[in-house]
Amino acid sequence: MTAENQPWTHRFRPSCQAEVVGNERALSQLRTWIRSWEKGIPKERAAFLHGPPGVGKTSCVVAIANDMDIDLLEVNASDFRTKKRLEGLVGRASLQTVTITGKRRMILFDELEGVSGQQDRGGITSIRDIIKETMIPIVLIATSPGEKWQDKFRPLVDVSTLIEFSPVPFGAMVRRLRECATELGISVDEEVLEYLADRSQGDLRSTLNDLEAISRGKETITIKDVEGLGMRDRKDYTPDALNKMFSAKSLREARRVISSTHIDYDTLFDWIYENLPVVLESPRDLARGMEALSRADIHQTRAQRTQAYRLLKYMFNEMTGGVALSRLYSTGTGLLSQVREKTATLGFPPGAFTVTETKAGIEVKPVKYLGNEWRRVNNGLREVGAQWVRGGNAWLIPYFRPPQLVWRYRRTYQSRRRRDEVAAKVAERCHVSSKEAVAEVIPLVKVMVGGDAVMADEITGWLDLDDKQSKWLKS
Amino acid sequence: MSSGMWAEKYRPKRLDEMWNQTEIISRLKSFVKDKNLPHLLFVGPAGTGKTTGILALARDLYGPAYQNYILELNASDERGINVIREKVKNFARTAAIASEVPFKILIMDEADSLTSAAQHALRRTMEIYTRTCRFVLIGNYSENIIEPIQSRCSVFRFGPLGEEDAKGWIKHIAENEKLNILPEGLEAIYEASTGDLRKATNLLQAAAATQRDEIDDVTIYSVLGRVSPGRVRELINLGLKGQFMEAREVLRGLLIDEGLAADDIIRLIYSEVLRLSIPERYKVRLSDTIGEIDYRLTQGARAEIQLSVLVAKLAIVGEEING
Repeated sequence: MTAENQPWTHRFRPSCQAEVVGNERALSQLRTWIRSWEKGIPKERAAFLHGPPGVGKTSCVVAIANDMDIDLLEVNASDFRTKKRLEGLVGRASLQTVTITGKRRMILFDELEGVSGQQDRGGITSIRDIIKETMIPIVLIATSPGEKWQDKFRPLVDVSTLIEFSPVPFGAMVRRLRECATELGISVDEEVLEYLADRSQGDLRSTLNDLEAISRGKETITIKDVEGLGMRDRKDYTPDALNKMFSAKSLREARRVISSTHIDYDTLFDWIYENLPVVLESPRDLARGMEALSRADIHQTRAQRTQAYRLLKYMFNEMTGGVALSRLYSTGTGLLSQVREKTATLGFPPGAFTVTETKAGIEVKPVKYLGNEWRRVNNGLREVGAQWVRGGNAWLIPYFRPPQLVWRYRRTYQSRRRRDEVAAKVAERCHVSSKEAVAEVIPLVKVMVGGDAVMADEITGWLDLDDKQSKWLKS
Repeated sequence: MSSGMWAEKYRPKRLDEMWNQTEIISRLKSFVKDKNLPHLLFVGPAGTGKTTGILALARDLYGPAYQNYILELNASDERGINVIREKVKNFARTAAIASEVPFKILIMDEADSLTSAAQHALRRTMEIYTRTCRFVLIGNYSENIIEPIQSRCSVFRFGPLGEEDAKGWIKHIAENEKLNILPEGLEAIYEASTGDLRKATNLLQAAAATQRDEIDDVTIYSVLGRVSPGRVRELINLGLKGQFMEAREVLRGLLIDEGLAADDIIRLIYSEVLRLSIPERYKVRLSDTIGEIDYRLTQGARAEIQLSVLVAKLAIVGEEING
């Protein structure tokens, strides 16, 4: 395959460290750790790279390996399934420090987040065993959307040095996109690049995919070309399946959703939970539906704790049939009334917007040109899941919206990071745990620094906070 | 030196300065006098002087350089018992040099949060290093500490401070900081902190940041309204009104943005529900529901789901209350 017909994400993958975008600190931490192997085996024989998707975790490893001329053995999630296969692949390699040709070696376990459930747990333990014995550096990579990700990988986290990756900064991303476009001889409006960069929340890979998708066969790209671009979500059929599930009249019918979507049942669970209050707008139905989800969660936990997977069917019954058959009073117009209420709070006279149900979702159309008010209205409507349809001159609120959790984690990434840093300082200074600092101390400290400027300076100084941390505390 | 947080500024530095807990203090003083101490287990509610007590003892015992002889670990912040063991090993294997006391002190806060397997591992570690290191374990409940550890420690039970002592402490700080605190303000702080001096002190300082001249109950309630319990009250009220979507947003804010743990949130919900102005029998009913969800949090894996069920059920009760 020539470079020309490779996907852009491959084509523009950095081949050396100088080409890596963003995450300079993580890159240098990783480099230092790999270098430390030159002086003998370090205390932590594995480096655990974690962070949001598409920010360059794998790229960093590949770039360093290229620069240092290290032979990289990559192992992917599908190889973790059985201990035997894993050991066959890397067990021996991890004990030999150089290749036949004398190159240094390194092992990369990528996509650890794909290791799920009980069947792979043996895989995690085997990786840990390999780390304990290894004579060469082992790099682990996992995308970490939730806060509890560390628990899942506890055995590995305990024996690794942790290296955190952050979303790629907006400016760096725009610069990189422009470089790629220039290299390909495509002219792209600055507006397009900024739109793509802004929408991606720091995920450079998805942005490159987007840019590639809209530039097929074109030499100039304007904001008009962005219209056709959907949300980055490959589970387009999920809303359809959900629709059938929520209107099912029998358990069997409702359960069909499990096999008719290609997403795993944890993700499906999140979809159902996200959309349940919209479908079951009657409080009694909602309480019953939530009760079913609560029971589903408990059945699943039991199945996993006892490894009696036959118990999973009770989870499936609750999360599908249990939810669908909770509907006694609801008419399913929850979303419509929610959108109407939201539209009414935007500070416009009645009749300023038309709200109509369409096949794709609920459409909100301004009657008059909004001008400067557009941004404010957009922000307000986004809270109910609206997307502006370019060209259509209206917002569309899809009937079913994807789970908001991952998005929320990403959006709050920086502030949660500051929070954790401040919590660590408060914990140390006030002799409490970080958990207690977050729950009991910081809320009051926020009031202290918010109310009195002198006290604020004293406290931030005493806690030895940097500017970003102080700013977070004062926000 | 800038004064920072009053809870630290006024934390008693020596055993002589300790507020209340006289019984315990006199025994701790006798350890200092003998220059020897057994392994200790301090149990009791938050803000009653457990950490202060051991830090003051260490300062009395080792003098100004006491920090060279102690290691403070918080079990809930450490990454697993193996990490703890490693740290303990490094700290405890060298004897205390340049001190006439032949041992160092390892302080393990929130020891009751360790699993029983981890506690057994800790017990073995305690035995190995007994010669060079004394262990001081701190926790809220002795029930959560395994019997073999309890039997190796002298157990000290710290009770919550009585009204008079707690108020006396707040007045003592208010005088030093030249604040004018009115009796209603004092009462409100005591009410909200119930014998937890750290919380009381932080609350006073937060109140002082907004209002120095006349701190009354209104000042205190407005501070309380702005911290997590205020958001929790908002969550409950939205739930009772049946505004589930809005309530869920607040809940996600607490869980994700503020980073509160589910058990902290349910604890706050419980104490706020008791303060609601609703007919008393509904409080009993809500308490039962909260109890059920509190248990489910330990049985399930998705904290947000379990807390959301509670919010959804609030709407039913809300409907009944409003007839």
